[in-house]
Amino acid sequence: MSDKPKTESVPPSAPAPQVTRDAGDLSAAKTLIEVKDFDFFYGQKQALFDINLEIPEKLVTAFIGPSGCGKSTLLRCLNRMNDLVDVARIGRGSINIHGVDINSKDVDVIELRKRVGMVFQKSNPFPKSIYENITYGLKIRGIHKKSYLDEVVERSLRGAALWDEVKDRLHDSALGMSGGQQQRLCIARAIAVEPEIILMDEPCSALDPIATAQIEELIDELKTDYTIVIVTHNMQQATRVSDKTAFFYLGKLIEFDETARLFSNPDNKQTEDYITGRFG
Amino acid sequence: MAEKLSQSSFTAESIQKKSGGFLGVDKSTLIKGLFGGNALVAIIVLALITFFLFREGVEFFPQYQHDMSLYRKSGQELAGLLKAEMDEYNELQKELEAVQVVLATETLEEIEGKEWPDENAKWAAYGEKTAAFQNYAESIRSASGPLKDVVEKVRDHTREMKEVVVVQETRKQITGIDLSTLMDEEEAEKLLLGSRQQVKDLMPEIVEAHKAFRENLTLVLASPPKVETEGGKEGLEDFQKEAEKFLEKIPGFERKLEKYDAEKPFTIWKALGGFLMGTEWITASSWQDYYGIWPLLSGSLMVTGVALFFAIPMGVFAAIYVNQIANSKEQNFIKPFIEFISAIPSVVIGFFGVVVFGELIRVWSQAGLEPPDIPVIGSVLGFFSNILNGIALRLDFFPISERLNAFTAGGLLALMAVPTIFTLAEDAMNNVPKAFTEASEAMGATRWQTIWRIQIPTALSGIISAILLGLGRVIGETMVVLLCAGNRIAVPEFKGAGTVFEPVHTMTGIIAQEMGEVVPESIHYRALFCVGIVLFFLSLLINYVAQIIVRRYQIANG
Repeated sequence: MSDKPKTESVPPSAPAPQVTRDAGDLSAAKTLIEVKDFDFFYGQKQALFDINLEIPEKLVTAFIGPSGCGKSTLLRCLNRMNDLVDVARIGRGSINIHGVDINSKDVDVIELRKRVGMVFQKSNPFPKSIYENITYGLKIRGIHKKSYLDEVVERSLRGAALWDEVKDRLHDSALGMSGGQQQRLCIARAIAVEPEIILMDEPCSALDPIATAQIEELIDELKTDYTIVIVTHNMQQATRVSDKTAFFYLGKLIEFDETARLFSNPDNKQTEDYITGRFG
Repeated sequence: MAEKLSQSSFTAESIQKKSGGFLGVDKSTLIKGLFGGNALVAIIVLALITFFLFREGVEFFPQYQHDMSLYRKSGQELAGLLKAEMDEYNELQKELEAVQVVLATETLEEIEGKEWPDENAKWAAYGEKTAAFQNYAESIRSASGPLKDVVEKVRDHTREMKEVVVVQETRKQITGIDLSTLMDEEEAEKLLLGSRQQVKDLMPEIVEAHKAFRENLTLVLASPPKVETEGGKEGLEDFQKEAEKFLEKIPGFERKLEKYDAEKPFTIWKALGGFLMGTEWITASSWQDYYGIWPLLSGSLMVTGVALFFAIPMGVFAAIYVNQIANSKEQNFIKPFIEFISAIPSVVIGFFGVVVFGELIRVWSQAGLEPPDIPVIGSVLGFFSNILNGIALRLDFFPISERLNAFTAGGLLALMAVPTIFTLAEDAMNNVPKAFTEASEAMGATRWQTIWRIQIPTALSGIISAILLGLGRVIGETMVVLLCAGNRIAVPEFKGAGTVFEPVHTMTGIIAQEMGEVVPESIHYRALFCVGIVLFFLSLLINYVAQIIVRRYQIANG
C-alpha cells in the first residue's frame, strides 16, 4: 500500500492542506455543512435536541459519544437515509449543505445522495463482482462506456488502497474478500461516483486492528479530496483521524471543538468524564 | 417468594441420577422416542408408498411386452399399419363429402333462382352441374377399393387369431377351470404362426394393391372437376391440397410395409419405449390396446405451461409489490387475501372453471361478450367488452368450440399456484439483507433501480425455486384438470397459440378417472401405476432442483 503512487488518487484540482491538525489552519476552513436548531424524532421519541453544528470542508469531523446518544442518527440525517424509516421525522431546524436546505421540498434526495456518499458500520458489498460493485453507482446513472468504467474502477480502487490486492480478480465475487477489504471496497464504491462528502458510520467497528489501521490511513488520504464525517465509538480513533470532534450525549451536542483541544482540554465536565472513561 | 430453596448439601447421593420413568426406560429416552418416532413414521410411509408404486408399476413392462408380442406374432401389426392408412384415407373422404354438401346447397340455390319449364328440366340441369364432381368423388372413393378388400381380409383374420390366444390365456388365470381343456403354449404358438403365415402369403397381393391405390389416386387428383360455385371451388382446392399431402405420405407407408417383419421379437426395451414415447393411449379396444404416455404427458405439460404463464408474473409481481412498494396497510390486506386462495377447495375452483370461466371464453370466442344491461356499469363494461371482442376477432384460433380445454384448466391452476409462488418469492425477497438496500439507496439509486438491480438479482434463486415449487403444485393437481381440461386422450395437434384451446387429458386426471374401474393387476391397472411413477419422478426432479437452487442461494448470501 505504501508503494502506491500517491499522485494517482489526487486530482490536480485539489490543493487542500495536507497537514491540518494545528489550530491556526482549522479556524480558516470553510463551513460546508451547517446544522441549525435541529430536532429529530423517531415516532414520539425525540432523538436529537437542538443541534447546532458547522462541519468544515475537506477536513475529518468525528462524532463521538456513548451508544444511543444520537450521533448515528445525525449522520444519517446528512444524506437523508432516515427517509427509509417510516416513523422518522424532523421536528425543527434545518441542515444546509452549501447553504441549501437538504430537507426542503425542492431537493431531490437521489441527487443529494449522489453527492453525499456513505460507508456503513458493517461492510455491505453487493453480492456481485468487485468490478460490478464499483461501477454500480455509475451504471445507475446510465453510464455504460466500458473504457470509462474501467478507468473509474482502477482510480477508485487505488483511492481506497485496494488496487494492488484485487487487480487480478476484479470479476470475482466481492463476498469472497476479507472484512477489511470489503470495507475498503465499500469506500471505493462510495468514491467511484466522486461525492463531495463521505459519511462513515463506525467503519472499523467490525475490523481487526490491522484492517482498522489501513482504513484510518485511507481516511487521512481521502480528506485531501473529500469532506469526511465519521462516527466512532473508539476515542483513540477519533484522535488519530479527525480534525474536529463533536461529543454527543443523550441526543444533545455537548461540545464541538478541534480534536486536539477537545481531548486535551475539554470545556465541559461531561466531555471530560467521557473521554477519561468515567462513563459511557 | 422469599422461600428458601430446600436443597440438600453436596454429597454423592444428592447428585445421583434419580431412578424412575416407565418400564425401566428413563424419561428423557421416552421423550426422545416420542418425537423421533413421529419423524420416523413419515419416512417409513414415504418409503412404503414408493415401494408400492414401483412394485405395482414395474410389472407393466413385461405384460405390455407380452401383449405387443402377440400383436406382432399374429400378424395383426401389419394389418394395423394398413388400417391406420385406411383410416386416414377415410378422414380425407369425409372432407370431400363436406365439400360435396356445400356444392349441392349452392347449386340448388342457384337453380331455384331461375325459371324452369318443368321439374324434370330443373333436376336435369342440377344433375348436369354436379355430375363432374360426383364422378370425381366416386373415383376417389373407389381408388382404394382393391386395397381395402385385402386389408379387411387380413384385419379380420389376424384379430380373430389373436383373440383366441388372449381368451385362452385369460381363462388360465381363472381358478377352477380344467387346464387340460385349454390350449397349451405350443398350440398357441402354432396358431399364431399360421396366422402370420397367412399374412405373409398375402404380402404380394397387398403390395400390388397398394401400388394400384397410389397410381389411381395420383391419376384422379391430376384432373380435378370444374366447379362453378364459390364455396365448392374453395372446398375443392383445400381438399386437393390435403389429398396431395396424403399422397406424399404413401411412400412412407410403403417403406413401413417393406420393413415389416413379424418374426422380430418385441423386446422389453421396445415395451419401455412404447410407453415413454407412445403417442396413443387406447384402452379396452376391440383392436389393440396401446399405453403410450405422450397424450397424457403433453396434456399435463400444456396445462402446466398455461398455468405458469399466468402464475409466474402474477405471483412474482405481487410479491415484489407487497415486499417493496406496498405500505404496511396494503401488506396486511393483500397478503392474507392471496394466501386465502390456497384454502379454496380445488373442486370449487373446478366448478367455477366449468360454469363460469370456460363458458365465458367460449362465448367470447364465438359471439363476443355482451355487457350486462345495467346503467353506467353496463356502459363501462361495454367499453371493455368492445376491446375484448376486438382482440377476439384478431385471434385466428378463435372461435373455439370446446369450453373445457387446456387453457381453462391452466387458467384456474394458475390461481392455485399463485399463493405458493407469491409466499415463497416474498420470503426470498425478505431474506435479502437490508444492508444491500441501504447501500444501494445511499449510492443515490432510485427505488426501482434498487429493486431491479439489487433486490431481484439477490433474491433470484429464491424466486426461481418458488416458481419450481409452484410448478410442482400445478403438475400434481388433479381435481381441476379432471373437471376442466376436457379429457380428450390425444396428443394435441399443433396449430400455434391456438393449441392451448384444445381439450387434453392429464396424467393425474387419468389415474383418478380410470383407477376405480380397472381390473386389479390387469395391464391397464399397471399402466396407470406407471403413469404414477412418471409423475412421481417429475415431482421429485422439480423439488430436487428447487432445493439445489435454494441451497446455492443461502451460500451466496453468507
